[in-house]
Amino acid sequence: MAAEGLPCEFDVVILGTGLVESVVAAACSRVGQRVLHLDRRSYYAANWASFTFNGLLDWIQRRQEPPPQPDELQDWSSLLEEGEELIYLCNADSSSVSNVQVFSFTREEEESVSPPSTTEEEEAAAAAEVEEAEEETTQSTDIKEKESKEETFNEEDDGQAAGVDGEEHEAPPPDNQSRKKVSYSELLDKGRRFNIDLVSKLMFSRGSLIDLLIKSNVSRYAEFKNVSRILTCRHGNVEQVPCSRADVFGSRQLSVVEKRKLMRFLTSVVEETEQQTAYSGRPYLDFLCEQQLGDNLQHFLLHSIAMVTEDTPTEEGLASTRHFLRCLGRYGNTPFLFPVYGLGEIPQCFCRMSAVFGGIYCLRHTVHCLLLDKSNNRCKAVIDSRGQRISCSHFVVEEGYVATERKKVVTPTRSISRAVLITDASVLPAHSDQQVSLVTVPPVAAGAPVVKMVELCSSTMTCIPGTYLVHLTCQSVGSAYEDLSPVVTRMFNTPESHDQETCPSVLWCLYFNMVDGSGVQVQGHDLPPNVYVCSGPDGGLGHEHAVTQAESIFRNILPDEEFCPPAPNPEDIIYDGDSAPSTGEEEKQGEEKGEEEAGQSERGEGTGVEEVGQSESGEE
Amino acid sequence: MAGGSVSECKEYLFKVLVIGELGVGKTSIIKRYVHQLFSQHYRATIGVDFALKVINWDSKTLVRLQLWDIAGQERFGNMTRVYYKEAVGAFVVFDMTRGSTFEAVSKWKHDLDSKVKLANGSPIPSVLLANKCDQKKDGSNNTAPMDNFCKETGFLGWFETSAKDNINVDEAARFLVENILANDKGLPYEESNGDRVKLDQETVAAESKSGCC
Repeated sequence: MAAEGLPCEFDVVILGTGLVESVVAAACSRVGQRVLHLDRRSYYAANWASFTFNGLLDWIQRRQEPPPQPDELQDWSSLLEEGEELIYLCNADSSSVSNVQVFSFTREEEESVSPPSTTEEEEAAAAAEVEEAEEETTQSTDIKEKESKEETFNEEDDGQAAGVDGEEHEAPPPDNQSRKKVSYSELLDKGRRFNIDLVSKLMFSRGSLIDLLIKSNVSRYAEFKNVSRILTCRHGNVEQVPCSRADVFGSRQLSVVEKRKLMRFLTSVVEETEQQTAYSGRPYLDFLCEQQLGDNLQHFLLHSIAMVTEDTPTEEGLASTRHFLRCLGRYGNTPFLFPVYGLGEIPQCFCRMSAVFGGIYCLRHTVHCLLLDKSNNRCKAVIDSRGQRISCSHFVVEEGYVATERKKVVTPTRSISRAVLITDASVLPAHSDQQVSLVTVPPVAAGAPVVKMVELCSSTMTCIPGTYLVHLTCQSVGSAYEDLSPVVTRMFNTPESHDQETCPSVLWCLYFNMVDGSGVQVQGHDLPPNVYVCSGPDGGLGHEHAVTQAESIFRNILPDEEFCPPAPNPEDIIYDGDSAPSTGEEEKQGEEKGEEEAGQSERGEGTGVEEVGQSESGEE
Repeated sequence: MAGGSVSECKEYLFKVLVIGELGVGKTSIIKRYVHQLFSQHYRATIGVDFALKVINWDSKTLVRLQLWDIAGQERFGNMTRVYYKEAVGAFVVFDMTRGSTFEAVSKWKHDLDSKVKLANGSPIPSVLLANKCDQKKDGSNNTAPMDNFCKETGFLGWFETSAKDNINVDEAARFLVENILANDKGLPYEESNGDRVKLDQETVAAESKSGCC
């Protein structure tokens, strides 16, 4: 809490708290490196963050503000020593997100029309509603004026108007008595119970992130929900994809013959056959056709199980099918897990682990420039936003802080289109309203992108009861709105959709594009070799890219150390009377170096001593 | 560890946060309470997440208390949500011999209330600890102003503690747990948490299910 000075020497300084940076921080702290972990933002997890509803509105607003003036390049040359050179970082990362558009379709009037659903709380808030709704309208309009093209203007305006005075344009859907409508003010009032991720991914139950969480014991900070079903959109209908043995046999949409065929296929695909290799280089779709599975099964296998496109080569299609099958049944009926409270938890779990092992954390704190030692072309120190010179042996940085001219990026830069919806019902209602669903949506038209949709229920702690949080993601073809609104209009009830009263209603939605991090390499930039660039979120469904990148950075920094060995369990830590007032450290150091005392004192000084607390607790 | 778990015994697991400025003795209090230890020479808290104290509350109730220390280095006030989430009680600690640490109490309390709430939206019960009372210089009685401060800031109460001389640590913990239990009775707690998945080494070891169909 207190404004304290930072120590002036670290082994590793890390700027940015995204997933890759956070894993590197945890890994380095865990093996005894002195880590300083900073982020210019006021929140953790960078573009991997999750926000409360209100927090997300702030985030949106910040996207609308003109990009901050590049700080008048402060002259730090006074801090330079002989043989040093400055490398300035850039502070504007706003360029990674673009085309932000917001629509609110909540109808305030319905609150009073349906008395059974009106609670006192809502009534009390009713007065404030109109005002807030209007605010929202202006806000969205502003964005539109800046970002969107005229063609969608009219429709959008209808949507906006509906947010303010619902009775004019809207014929209320016939089932609105049964569904309790959530008002905008309720979204705001209960906003803190939303955890809305900027990124939408799932965790493969045998993927590298789950393995890393388990191996390192970082998993102790998180809980997960099984993705309970996989759905797909076909001929305008949402259907469940049978993927486990039980699903296949329990399925009502498959014929007996299809069931047998599917089982035979799934069993046979596990091992490589000559027939498969013969299709190498040819589309997986051709291979599937050859199996004479029929349209139904072919659709499931291509779009929902392999999750590839029609022209994906067979070997790739088979590899993803096998990965899918390997992940089945480890924790549940589908291959996927989703973290309770959202994906934004995961980088924070790694940050906590780093902090527990001595990592120092400061948000709203950045690095202005690097000090290059010209004799060996290495970064020997950084200058932070308070003008303090902090020496380090390695510097790890989120891609957004690196000036464009120094970056080597794959061109053309790819980006991800994202939509976030708050809806009032599931796309496929089932006996339980607490389903977590992955929905694969094949291209709605030729040239349109493949869309992955994740629908989260309230028990994932990402939205309030009575609502669903729906994330849509695809590789960008156009803007997020252009790419995803056709899917939204088709599968949900919005003022733009027709004859879809039975579909879930969209209460609120957000579109934006984010740069696809998969084009960024760790090294090869115009930077010293001990500076490592971390990419932001990539467009893949899993986390393999991020974990691989983090591990490779760690290997570069500490080639001889273990990557994320298990942290001791709190119960196993032995407290020694007076002699060795240390904690979990002896366990760790003991197992690695067998020189407890020496190891401790070596790092004790730098990180400060709680009771004696000399170096840190100045000022006050 | 779990002694008297009879058939009708109710078990609770409570996450309790211990927060406050650097060097006020958070770790000492935890060690005193959980391990009956005190040392003059604690270093910054490294490698410790939380300590577990098992309390046989009464013949029918077993309470497992997870005391979460601030990792020394989150001391700039930038705690992750991991630290706060699903906590049901808190100790805010200050050092009686250093006025500045008391001034920071309101900041910590405010931060706490803004980051974590009970399921019903009310703040989590918290108790103020005036630590290092063994070093108190004057014998002055500040009960009334402290009571007032607690009322204004929303603390349930306060205790003068000494981890060194083992004064009031157990009492403060008992007081907080009483309040947590009282809250818990009124709340439909963990109604939907049953199907959450925890990942740990045992899960992996116990894995025997065949993968796919």
